Amino acid sequence: MTRPWRMAALAALIAVLVIALTPYLWLFMTSIKTRIDALADAPVWAFTPTLEHYPKVFLDKGYLPLVFNSLIVASVTTALSLVIGVPAAYAFARYNFVGKEDLFFFFLTTRMAPPISVVVPMFLLFGYVGLIDTRTSLILAHTTFNLSLVVWMMRGFFDDIPREIDEAGQMDGHTRAGVFFRILLPLAAPGIAATAVLCFMLSWNEFLYAFILVAFEGRTLTVGIPGLVTPHGTLWGQVAAVAVVATLPIILFTFLVQRHLVRGLTFGAVKG
Amino acid sequence: MTVAFHGVSKIFGDGTVALDDFSLTFESGEFVVLLGPSGSGKTTACRILAGLEQATGGRVEVDGRDVTGLPPRDRNMSMVFQNYALYAHKSVYENIAYPLRVRGTARQDIDDKVRAVARLLQIEELLKRRPRQLSGGQAQRVAVARALVWQPAICLMDEPLSNLDAILRLQTRTEIKRLHAELGTTFVFVTHDQEEAMTLGTRIAVLNEGRLVQFAAPKEIYHHPSTRFVAEFIGRPAMNTLDGRVENGRFLCNGLSLPAPGQGDGPSVLGIRPEHIVLAPGSGAATFPFRLDVLELIEPDMLLFVTHDGLSMTVRGKADAADLKRGVELHLEFPPERLHFFDPESGRRRP
Repeated sequence: MTRPWRMAALAALIAVLVIALTPYLWLFMTSIKTRIDALADAPVWAFTPTLEHYPKVFLDKGYLPLVFNSLIVASVTTALSLVIGVPAAYAFARYNFVGKEDLFFFFLTTRMAPPISVVVPMFLLFGYVGLIDTRTSLILAHTTFNLSLVVWMMRGFFDDIPREIDEAGQMDGHTRAGVFFRILLPLAAPGIAATAVLCFMLSWNEFLYAFILVAFEGRTLTVGIPGLVTPHGTLWGQVAAVAVVATLPIILFTFLVQRHLVRGLTFGAVKG
Repeated sequence: MTVAFHGVSKIFGDGTVALDDFSLTFESGEFVVLLGPSGSGKTTACRILAGLEQATGGRVEVDGRDVTGLPPRDRNMSMVFQNYALYAHKSVYENIAYPLRVRGTARQDIDDKVRAVARLLQIEELLKRRPRQLSGGQAQRVAVARALVWQPAICLMDEPLSNLDAILRLQTRTEIKRLHAELGTTFVFVTHDQEEAMTLGTRIAVLNEGRLVQFAAPKEIYHHPSTRFVAEFIGRPAMNTLDGRVENGRFLCNGLSLPAPGQGDGPSVLGIRPEHIVLAPGSGAATFPFRLDVLELIEPDMLLFVTHDGLSMTVRGKADAADLKRGVELHLEFPPERLHFFDPESGRRRP
């Protein structure tokens, strides 16, 4: 690249970084500002940091179990969606059966109805089986929409793996199941990682189902935040503190699978 | 070891007949080439032998044992695929070692065998690489190494040279022939390229429209093609064929009259290979005048496209007469021992 182009690219990069990071920095700063600094008319850049909000909201207000709830719901949802969805995607990619494409489309239709239209029936159903206000109900609800994501994304990854790979595996001595577990899953690992991150984020950030289905014991962080909007005003410092903690697992998770994620989201990663 | 197809047929779900009553028997140590145009069923035959495809009729036997329903892993065969099908997430070493690992070979054995086959194929310096870091020719060698490392009874190759460029293809062809000579493994090689078939095969099975047309040594196929299809498919440029009729022991067609001893009267097809037509120095008793239409030089040979009274023919000769001009009259001689006769209806060879 020539010099002017390098400069332009650098400028664009910086612009993107500023746009992406400013809200997060703002959030983080608010979480360590006193209420007075946070509500100041002109933004205060120089201030004495305080850590009062964190212990207050997580210990005094008892928000710590919410972190745990969110973690459980998001991880179990992700695991469940993958365990069911990945083999299903493999079947869609490799086998022919009657009504295959219709069934595949059916998975998509599960996402077509606006969530608000199914959340009340879901509430009633979970009420009948006594699952209201449990993490189980939320895990099941989140799995319903994550499953379609897994099936649709993973079919693309399996389609990208040439069938000859399956056949080479069979010639090398595997059963078809052996081919799936020992060859295709490792080859699809980038795709699985990318899908897992998306599943985890969707479940972690989800508000509507969580708000309706789990009000007290099973509350997740997203449901916890509105609880900080009080009749005496919004506790911005505590809201920010919860939000900062809420973003940490996503950042951590993304870094963990980053190597796979880049390859996975750009597709074509498995072609030899 | 004897491998036998007994009346094998394959009809796909959409009704396509890929193989129709296909029978073929060959012995261990052979280099069998399945040759045919696309859609002739050659790949299907290979895949049925491998167990990757299920026959809809007939049996496949190895040493008299019916293997028709066996999964690929129980057949003691390996395969080289057209696109190589290497495992992208494993190193070259692990790719080659993989069939041994799956079969539970001891660790030290695996290392010995991988290094031995890598030496044989001259890919020792590539063992640490990933498949994506290989050129087409290198990937091809790795695929062959993976297929040979565990010494299967039969090595199947499905158009393994088709993805290589022309020069590499010739080199690899020679290499495969050398491997067969050194290892004595039975090879079954699928190709649509008659030149590959002629150079590699100990015997060639020519397929057309799902049927076996001829199964014989390359020399026999070249000199005694059993049908008009085989005659035109083998040899480049293709054999000249003329539709005419035999009367009183002579073949007649557009002013040509050639000896056809022993041929019964009636419609007949005459065939002669371009390289067997003789360019006579001048007009003679057994020559016919043709006009030169196009001349192509393929040193040290030349191809002459000639016409005579509505007939078109191709002649292949040495390029020493290359100063010929378009439209010049040539005298061609058709040696009687080089003539082939075919039935115009069935296409079968007439003795």
